[in-house]
Amino acid sequence: MSEVTLFINNREVTVEEDSTILEAARKLGYDVPTFCHAENLKPFTSCFICAVKVEGGKGNLVPSCATKVRDGMKVTVEDEEIDASRRMCLNLLLSDHCGDCLPPCESTCPSSIDIRGFLALVREGKELEAAQLIRQKAPIPGILGRICPRPCEDACRRTRVDEPISICFMKRHISDTEIAQMGKPQLPEAAPATGKKVAVIGAGPAGMTAAYFLKLQGHEVTVYEKHATSGGMLRYGIPYYRLTDETLKAELGVIEEMGVKVNYGVEIGKDITAKSLEADHHALILAIGAQGASAMRVEGEDLPGVYSGIEYLGAAGENQIPDLGRKIYVVGGGNTAIDCARTAVRTGADVTILYRRTRAEMPASDFEIDEALHEGVKIEYLNAPTAITRENGKLLLSCIRMELGEPDESGRRSPVPVKGSEYTVEASAIVSAIGQKVLPGCVEDLGIDVSRWGTLLADDKTFQTSRPGIFACGDCQTGADIAVRAVGNGRKTAWAVNQYLSGEAVTGEPELFNSTMGPLESLDPAMFENYDPADRIKMPVIDDQTRRTTFAEVETGFVPSEAQKEAARCLECGCDAAEDCRLREYSTRYNVDQTLFAGDRRAFRLDGSHEKVKMEVHKCINCGACVRACAEVKGLDVLAYVNRGFATRMTAPFGRSLIDTECDGCGECVKVCPTAGIMFQKEAALS
Amino acid sequence: MGKPKLLVGLGSCGIAAGAQVVFNHIKEKDKGVLADLDVTSCVGMCYAEPLVEVVSGEERVLFGQVDTAFADRILKGIADGRLPEENRVREDSDGKEYLARQVKVALRNCGVINPESLEEYRAVGGYQALEKCLKELTPQGVLDIIKESGLAGRGGGFFPTGMKWSFLAKAPGDDKYLVCNADEGDPGAFMDRAMLEGDPHGLVEGMLIASYATGARHGYVYCRAEYPLAIKRLRKAIEEAKGQNLLGDNILGTGHSFHLKVKEGAGAFVCGEETALMASIEGRRGMPTLRPPFPAEAGIKGMPTNINNVETYENVAFIISRGAEEFNKYSCGRSTGTKVFALAGKIKRVGLVEIPMGMTIGEVVNGLGGGSSSGLPVKAVQMGGPAGGCIPRSLFDTTIDADSINATGAIMGSGGMVVMDETTCMVDVAKYFLAFTQKESCGKCTFCRIGTKRMLEILTRITDGKGEEKDLDLLEDLANHVKKTSLCGLGQLAPNPVLTTLKYFREEYLAHINEKRCPAKACKPLITIRIKPEKCTGCTACARVCAVKAISGERKEIHTIDPDVCTRCGLCLETCKFDAIEVV
Repeated sequence: MSEVTLFINNREVTVEEDSTILEAARKLGYDVPTFCHAENLKPFTSCFICAVKVEGGKGNLVPSCATKVRDGMKVTVEDEEIDASRRMCLNLLLSDHCGDCLPPCESTCPSSIDIRGFLALVREGKELEAAQLIRQKAPIPGILGRICPRPCEDACRRTRVDEPISICFMKRHISDTEIAQMGKPQLPEAAPATGKKVAVIGAGPAGMTAAYFLKLQGHEVTVYEKHATSGGMLRYGIPYYRLTDETLKAELGVIEEMGVKVNYGVEIGKDITAKSLEADHHALILAIGAQGASAMRVEGEDLPGVYSGIEYLGAAGENQIPDLGRKIYVVGGGNTAIDCARTAVRTGADVTILYRRTRAEMPASDFEIDEALHEGVKIEYLNAPTAITRENGKLLLSCIRMELGEPDESGRRSPVPVKGSEYTVEASAIVSAIGQKVLPGCVEDLGIDVSRWGTLLADDKTFQTSRPGIFACGDCQTGADIAVRAVGNGRKTAWAVNQYLSGEAVTGEPELFNSTMGPLESLDPAMFENYDPADRIKMPVIDDQTRRTTFAEVETGFVPSEAQKEAARCLECGCDAAEDCRLREYSTRYNVDQTLFAGDRRAFRLDGSHEKVKMEVHKCINCGACVRACAEVKGLDVLAYVNRGFATRMTAPFGRSLIDTECDGCGECVKVCPTAGIMFQKEAALS
Repeated sequence: MGKPKLLVGLGSCGIAAGAQVVFNHIKEKDKGVLADLDVTSCVGMCYAEPLVEVVSGEERVLFGQVDTAFADRILKGIADGRLPEENRVREDSDGKEYLARQVKVALRNCGVINPESLEEYRAVGGYQALEKCLKELTPQGVLDIIKESGLAGRGGGFFPTGMKWSFLAKAPGDDKYLVCNADEGDPGAFMDRAMLEGDPHGLVEGMLIASYATGARHGYVYCRAEYPLAIKRLRKAIEEAKGQNLLGDNILGTGHSFHLKVKEGAGAFVCGEETALMASIEGRRGMPTLRPPFPAEAGIKGMPTNINNVETYENVAFIISRGAEEFNKYSCGRSTGTKVFALAGKIKRVGLVEIPMGMTIGEVVNGLGGGSSSGLPVKAVQMGGPAGGCIPRSLFDTTIDADSINATGAIMGSGGMVVMDETTCMVDVAKYFLAFTQKESCGKCTFCRIGTKRMLEILTRITDGKGEEKDLDLLEDLANHVKKTSLCGLGQLAPNPVLTTLKYFREEYLAHINEKRCPAKACKPLITIRIKPEKCTGCTACARVCAVKAISGERKEIHTIDPDVCTRCGLCLETCKFDAIEVV
């Protein structure tokens, strides 16, 4: 056979005359994406992701998998126009792809913990392995397993069957089991020293997580902390009845043991400048938190007897709870307000929370609100303070009742004062817990950009600030947020810092594209038909009397049999092909936006009738490879194109299930499926 | 002089207008006493159906809007020797304007002869062109004449027919196929149907000549099953031709053989695309495949194949009989001859016209067609169906030839011409066509299958008043991608209705988006129907026709419409005799 010579992106290549452009491009090393193409099948040209430009054409892109080479042909297989076409192709395919790459719990978790994975290990009684699995993403499972507001559980698909999996407590169970069996958390060994020095300001969850992951890489990490102990807001913002000193010491202590040095009692800007830290280290991470209290902006808030939530909980963290008298008002609706109220209850006070909206809008976790109510905290909804005065030695709180008006930018309905509803109450103390702010003053000598709210500006993926080599993560970068996000961002920061120290491009932790089926409530009920209800295991708690009078830990943890039973409730969401999926690979490469064309989408349709192969028609991208493999390789017509237009599907015709066809499960279709439209059944895949 | 002949136009259009009733009435009443009753097909004056023609010798008088009463008057007129003066649609001003500038080539026999009679076809010179080819010309000689005529594919591609035939002629072997694409599917198009119903032998003869020129021995007419009358007449024509050895083996003793079959399509629009059409003929799902290989290399059953549409073949016998010059004396740019158009939509004179290349769009729409049916200004004309585009009034000086029409962003297409006036919303038009292509996509290629759906969704958002300005950029970007990266014509051309309306009527899109207003007052979510208090007489007529009881008011008092209940169906508007209801 004779040969032809052509030019691909101006590079000459010689191939046999019957070759396709795709073959020629691959010969030159170009990774042209394809879905419908398979080596053992005839060219088909349905997906059009392999489309390229041929000089002298009508301006159309042609499918490279089927277009034959010609002598002297000039082809472009990579440029902006082609990238845009591939991105559009994927945007369209993903808009009609009904599947989750990752289980929603994992994609929702700000620390990206492999929840499905650790639940599977717990089910098998492998808590020690589970601890290591979590630690790949978050070094403090015991802490998070006690205090996390559990965004994962809000996303848990099991909710559509009965109740979400008790994910959060499972982390605690794993950590408790590890410590009980091994004496302390088992951290992996750090890599050999790299000679690079990193300074971290702040020993809170973000700072300690970043320090941990950098130490793992072999870097020399020194943390500077103004308090006498580590933990940051975990310790000084969360009361001990939720998160014990013991747990904090155990999980943060081992990070120090592995070689992270923490210099306690060092206040940046006072004892040492940030600038000098920058000078003495190869990289600097700012994890200074959000330590300032937001003002209520009412007259008299500076009067004696008025405290901020941060002050109050901070003192509790130091084991120095001030006596605020018998009648305490807490203003605010977040978890800090609840923590303040529940702490105050334990001092024997009568505690009332004032919140300007209703329970439905309250930012505090539902279960926290329940716990507070259970312990005797009163909550006055639709009330707001207007002034604080002191008359004849009495602290007076003036309030006004509110009603809900139009929704604001956050989507929550804004409270509007009800005219003439003003009233005044007497208080022994008032705790204001309406928000926190970043106090960036201590690092301002670095000259990095700060937002108008005081947060340190850093890239959302690399966490690098306006100055290379200086990174910011945790509450100081996000504004006051939950610990699990500080942990996740601390890890991502470490990744970027490691890139920086290694002289690589600072791009941040690589993230794979993640397709999602959409919000829980939008899912097709058919998905949940085959599951039997099973009650969520309740977390055992100590008796009420002890709860109300001491700071003993309220929750006592699962016993192993309960944990296993709970873990067995997991639906194992996420895709079996997530690690071997060209659709996902290309979607990552071309930076796809699955929501660009949100509209009608194929419905969930699982054909699990056959023992060897299963079809997830909802994930199919209509490349037709399976239909052709069955016909061309196997000589059968098990699968066919059904319907027309947008409703076209690859499936067994006439509404049949696979089991009612001639399919013998040979798997020729599975081999050519670029995504998860057809897969081997798990059992068959293992055998 | 013998009895006059009475011809009743019994095309599908005529039958729909009531011509069959008239035919039956005359048959019953006259029983062939006064006149010989006969059938013809569509003469093209659809606006005047039902049509009855009185033919006595050379004299032909065509009556329109003929009901049974008027048929009686015609019969009486024949008896009295004085035909009625009214309803003479060829002689009135409408008829004169409509017919004066038409040139009938492809439509030469439509409405003139009985399409079910080979005898009548022969009487007007039928099959003489074939005999001339078989007996006087070489295949190459035929090819030369066709090439010289400049005939080009009337299905819309306008590829030179002579060149296409010569590809097949040069292809090796003698197992070659000839196909007639009669899968007419554009909304508002009825050219092929009219020709199949009106002159089936013209098609058969054209294909026979092509078979001689190219050496093809097998032929298929692929016709949609929704054209039962066309299929019936075509089958009859084939049988009759076979009976006279015009089809089959050793035709007229010349040694040439050609076998022709009718293949009925199941109504998939995409089967009008030639590779999908061939797949369908072979019994496979109608899905386009990549070209090359072109049909001339590997078509039906992998054999060399030539495909032309109905109108292309209908021109062939004329060109052979009358000479290439008689055809290409009409020319404009690279286009020669005539083109058949189906005038539809909001046009005064709906019908089928055949015009020489080079007339302007305005001359056809306003001259032949008489402007809009509503009296409102014509806003645009849609040419080329779902693959075509909308040409605005400002471009009505554009001459009708393939290159000039393509330059507007629309396409000449197969001949659909849908006229729009000021009450037509151009966003709604784009939406209509996208809804069509979206459903008719074969579902194979990503850009066409999902892209047309997403375009439709964006357009729906806009006509629902939920569009944002960024939607226009997204729509345009997507449309360009679909155009550039689809396998077949259906996908490549599907964005044309969107792109041309965006190009010429962007301000209408913006009014929907920014002002939440439909300038044509056609998009229901953006209009309100209300009663003008100063004109309402309280007659209650509107309230009585309202199906959803949205209108309230006491007798002789001013009525009101509840906009939350009203479905904007417009029935009240049509009912009100006092012009007291308006759309705002």
